[in-house]
Amino acid sequence: MAVTSLRAARVERRAGVRARPRRESRAAFTMLAPLLVLLAVFVIWPLIHAVYISFFTWSFYDPAVFVGLENYINVVTDEEFVNSVVRGLLFSAMVVPVQVTIAFVFANLVKTVSRRMAAVMKVTIYVPAVISEVIAAIVFALIYTHRGGLLNWFLDFFGIEAIPWLGDTATALPAVAIPAIWIGMGVASLIMLAGLLDIPEAYYECASLDGAGPWTKMFRITLPLMKNVILFLLVTGFAASLQFLILPWLMTQGGPVNSTNLPNLFILQHFNTDLYVGYSIAAALLLFGVLGAVSAVIFRLVRSEKAMDA
Amino acid sequence: MRTQLIRLIAAVAGTAVLAVGCGSGGTGQGAAGGKAEITLWQQKFTDQEDAWYKKAVAAFNKSQDKVVLKHVIVPADVWDQKMKAAQAAGKAPDIYTVNYSKVPGFARTGQIQALDPLIPAGKWAGLQESVVGSVEHKGKKYGYPMLVEPSAVLYYRKDLFAKAGLDPNKPPATWQELIDYGKKLTTKDVAGVVTAANQIDMAWSTWGLQWNAAGHLPISDDWSTPQAADAKYRQLLQVYQTLYQQGIMPKQPLAPYADANPLGQGKTAMMVCGSWAASVLLQDYPKMVADIGAAALPSFDGDTTKPTATLGGWTLVVDAKSKNARASADFVSWLLAGDPTLLVEFFKNTKFSKYSPRAAVADAIKDDPAAAENPWARTIEEQVVKYAKPEPAYDWAISLAFGKAIEKALQGKDIDQALQAADAEIKDVIAKNNLAGQGS
Repeated sequence: MAVTSLRAARVERRAGVRARPRRESRAAFTMLAPLLVLLAVFVIWPLIHAVYISFFTWSFYDPAVFVGLENYINVVTDEEFVNSVVRGLLFSAMVVPVQVTIAFVFANLVKTVSRRMAAVMKVTIYVPAVISEVIAAIVFALIYTHRGGLLNWFLDFFGIEAIPWLGDTATALPAVAIPAIWIGMGVASLIMLAGLLDIPEAYYECASLDGAGPWTKMFRITLPLMKNVILFLLVTGFAASLQFLILPWLMTQGGPVNSTNLPNLFILQHFNTDLYVGYSIAAALLLFGVLGAVSAVIFRLVRSEKAMDA
Repeated sequence: MRTQLIRLIAAVAGTAVLAVGCGSGGTGQGAAGGKAEITLWQQKFTDQEDAWYKKAVAAFNKSQDKVVLKHVIVPADVWDQKMKAAQAAGKAPDIYTVNYSKVPGFARTGQIQALDPLIPAGKWAGLQESVVGSVEHKGKKYGYPMLVEPSAVLYYRKDLFAKAGLDPNKPPATWQELIDYGKKLTTKDVAGVVTAANQIDMAWSTWGLQWNAAGHLPISDDWSTPQAADAKYRQLLQVYQTLYQQGIMPKQPLAPYADANPLGQGKTAMMVCGSWAASVLLQDYPKMVADIGAAALPSFDGDTTKPTATLGGWTLVVDAKSKNARASADFVSWLLAGDPTLLVEFFKNTKFSKYSPRAAVADAIKDDPAAAENPWARTIEEQVVKYAKPEPAYDWAISLAFGKAIEKALQGKDIDQALQAADAEIKDVIAKNNLAGQGS
């Protein structure tokens, strides 16, 4: 009897276990449905269509002609496209590590100050995030103006001759990278701060009792527990900085000698001036592949793991 | 539950479809009060030109009751994106303004309609043949020429010349003189000379100088062979390199090439700009007019009959997918091939800084006493327009490759290598776009 009731209870439990996920799945799908439909209409279908039309040479007027991989071959054999992607990676390498480092330092600083001071600092660092890229581009272009610009006016006090920040191939890309860092710093800092605040204080207290110094705490507690946050910032930062368009477009138009011609600007220029559209579609899809590859490499290098306290 | 789910999906899908269907456009072929509606997209020019277009459209709408013409002014910097988006959505305007250099390419790719069957033959009489050639493709005319304007004129400040000990009535006649004068005129606040300084601006503004330096453009006439490596182009790149490296021209552009304001604002002693600069200087800087002179750019070998500029200009074209092509062409004909007084007003509003390729209009302008308002018009006509070449019709990528070579020289790179790279790039463009044999 006891055995029988135990079995019956197990069977009921199993049935309950089966029934609940089915109900939950249904509810989950119901809630996901709007998003999935929108995703299908605005992302998946356009993507499939883009892949399809990238095999044709076409304009909006002439009948499309199937050319197979010709558009892709034209893009990958175009030195300018390859250069723009390499330049984009270099630009990301200038922007993202600096952005993440500043965000980390800033978040640590905010954590140590009073609540009121922290609020002021958070608002201050977040302001650039709500400023449009267009405004940032104009403001920084004015700062960099060769004659009469704020930066050269300042350097003049130290007897440094005016530098054509945006007019020289050596300085133009770093000059565009600075507003890019500035714009993204606010969001990165707040995410970093949220991650820092999530680390239980008990860990640091225990470490202190064991005689750990600030550097040990940093490398043994803070950084390992912040790994996922840093990974997130690196992946999203690289993806975003590789796609900067407005800053180089407004500040330098991609010049001088294409030294600030980032991939999206390169593709846009082709889209605007080419008589046929196949090239720019193929280039955009290849850039999509590059972005995926870069993200995969970062994931591989900085492995995402479950936090110790989770 | 299932029913609810289906309803939900249907509602979302319906909304999405509606959202797609209601995408922006505004160039539809709807009817307005029973009349068909046609649309004109005009690139934003000066306020005076925009006002003239507005007035002309209102007059056209008043003059007939078959169609309603809707006029849209589109800023130049968003033109390409807006047009591509409209074309993709099948909502391109019926009529739009376009630069001569783009007409053959648009015709070749079927974007615009031939106007010969739509505008009576008699209306084409009295147009300069060279300018008509700019809007032709395979013997058909795809635009009705409205105006020509030389792309490069040297404007200079006579008062600053005198101050620097130079003869204010003697503009530089050679490039060496221009460099020497530039050195004398350069101060901390005033540039010696301002000209195109990035590859995009140099790509088109130097077409005339490319002709002048080498006697040809960087691609053969039939578009089959690159010619950018011609050693004769060295002198052109060398001039730009010297001007930039010696600080005679600003290290960072003060404004885009087409912008005449740096001269009016006193930021430069000499400025290379198109004839349209005259309109800006006369309108916005009237007090400076007496101190400004104009001349043709120097010729590399001293021969002043060689071209130093190209004759660009704007025309109106009819979209290949226009459902009211006849009515659209009627407007083009009414505006550009009709009553000359309408166009005379345009040239008057733009201070006679542009030139008409139509004999009836050009003659009327000559007789207009107001033409004397532009003190540089005669010099430009006699020294620049007379020897200028039409704009090339090849793909923009060809021009850009050469512009990039000049920009490389500007940045101090090796001139021969820059020319070789341009030559290779043009060869690549020819191959990838099957351009060989498509030229004249």
